Amino acid sequence: MWKKDEAVKPGIPTDGPRVDAPRNSGSDMVNVGTGTIGKSVVIKGELSASEDLAIEGQVDGKVELPQNILTIGANGRIKASVFAKAVIVQGEVHGNITATEKIDIRDAGSVDGDLASPRVAIADGAHFRGSIDMQRGKAGETAGLALEATKPAEALKPAVPMTGAAPAGVATAAPGTAPAR
Amino acid sequence: MLKWGSRRAETPPVAPPATPGSTDAIVTTKVFSRFLAAVGHQPAPVLLDLGPVVGSNVSFFSERLGCKLHVEDLYSDIEDHARRGERAALAQFFATRLTESPDSIDGILCWDLFDFLERPAGLVLAAKLAAMLRKGGALYGSFGTTALELTHYTKAIVAAEDSLRLRTSPATPVARTVLLTRDIIKMFDGLIVAESVLLKSSTRETLFRRP
Repeated sequence: MWKKDEAVKPGIPTDGPRVDAPRNSGSDMVNVGTGTIGKSVVIKGELSASEDLAIEGQVDGKVELPQNILTIGANGRIKASVFAKAVIVQGEVHGNITATEKIDIRDAGSVDGDLASPRVAIADGAHFRGSIDMQRGKAGETAGLALEATKPAEALKPAVPMTGAAPAGVATAAPGTAPAR
Repeated sequence: MLKWGSRRAETPPVAPPATPGSTDAIVTTKVFSRFLAAVGHQPAPVLLDLGPVVGSNVSFFSERLGCKLHVEDLYSDIEDHARRGERAALAQFFATRLTESPDSIDGILCWDLFDFLERPAGLVLAAKLAAMLRKGGALYGSFGTTALELTHYTKAIVAAEDSLRLRTSPATPVARTVLLTRDIIKMFDGLIVAESVLLKSSTRETLFRRP
């Protein structure tokens, strides 16, 4: 049904976001090459990428996609500060979200934290508690600061460098740890 | 083989929206535009909304005022307490619930929150809100003047500067706390009444200012 030689073709754009596993992947790490951080994936530490990303799992720490769109899926549970070009929330976020373009909280989305973006859309039925800062330019300024704080080479790296407390790595597959919604 | 509908069976049924937009009542407001004008005088004002978040209101306030908006849905806290039969504990709860600093807010939207609060809780909350307002800040609230049982909360959606769309959602029934005007003024000690209008709906809209 799926031919092996079609699985990976460098240079050919894929339909969805793709995330490469860290190079120093241990046996406990999971290749999330589908572009989605799956339901059973728990990441503790810092997650950054230079391509669009969808999170269905759990992330504790920090998420940075300065030039890309981050989608937190219905099963996604984030306890982190989030920084991206645009953020779509369908799951649960505990932490501040900064976006240089837009934050979109869908009807099933839940955010406990502060939002900073020039455009914020909150659907009817969404849960939100925190503050909203839509002052023009402010999110961009924050973006600039965040970009300066990130090494350029790392920011453009099409991978997911992760740092965390876990010595063997921070991305772990933990079947059964998917957050219940 | 694929089984059509097999995933659907695993998914819990989703309740339809309680109240479709078409059933929203639209009411005219006399005082809300004054509130906007008062807050709009401040450069980059900070607003505190004590109701549930409304996406279109966020856009409205951002475009109209260019403000920073804090959303603290106290209605959900009231409902939580009501369901547990702990309305009396709200006074103690409000003493620590809001974490905004004194003199940090330019505008507060109370909506009809005080109709749902027993007097002790109302006193605690009003004192906290009055202290939060900056000099020149404004507080908008509406107060029912007729005693009746409240069976729903009302979410106010700003339609225009002079009109609000009211959308209801079920509430644990409670007798409305009817406050006399002088009691309301006493409650918000430190603020002055800038405008007070009794609407045809027997609701008193009040705009407080911090001198």
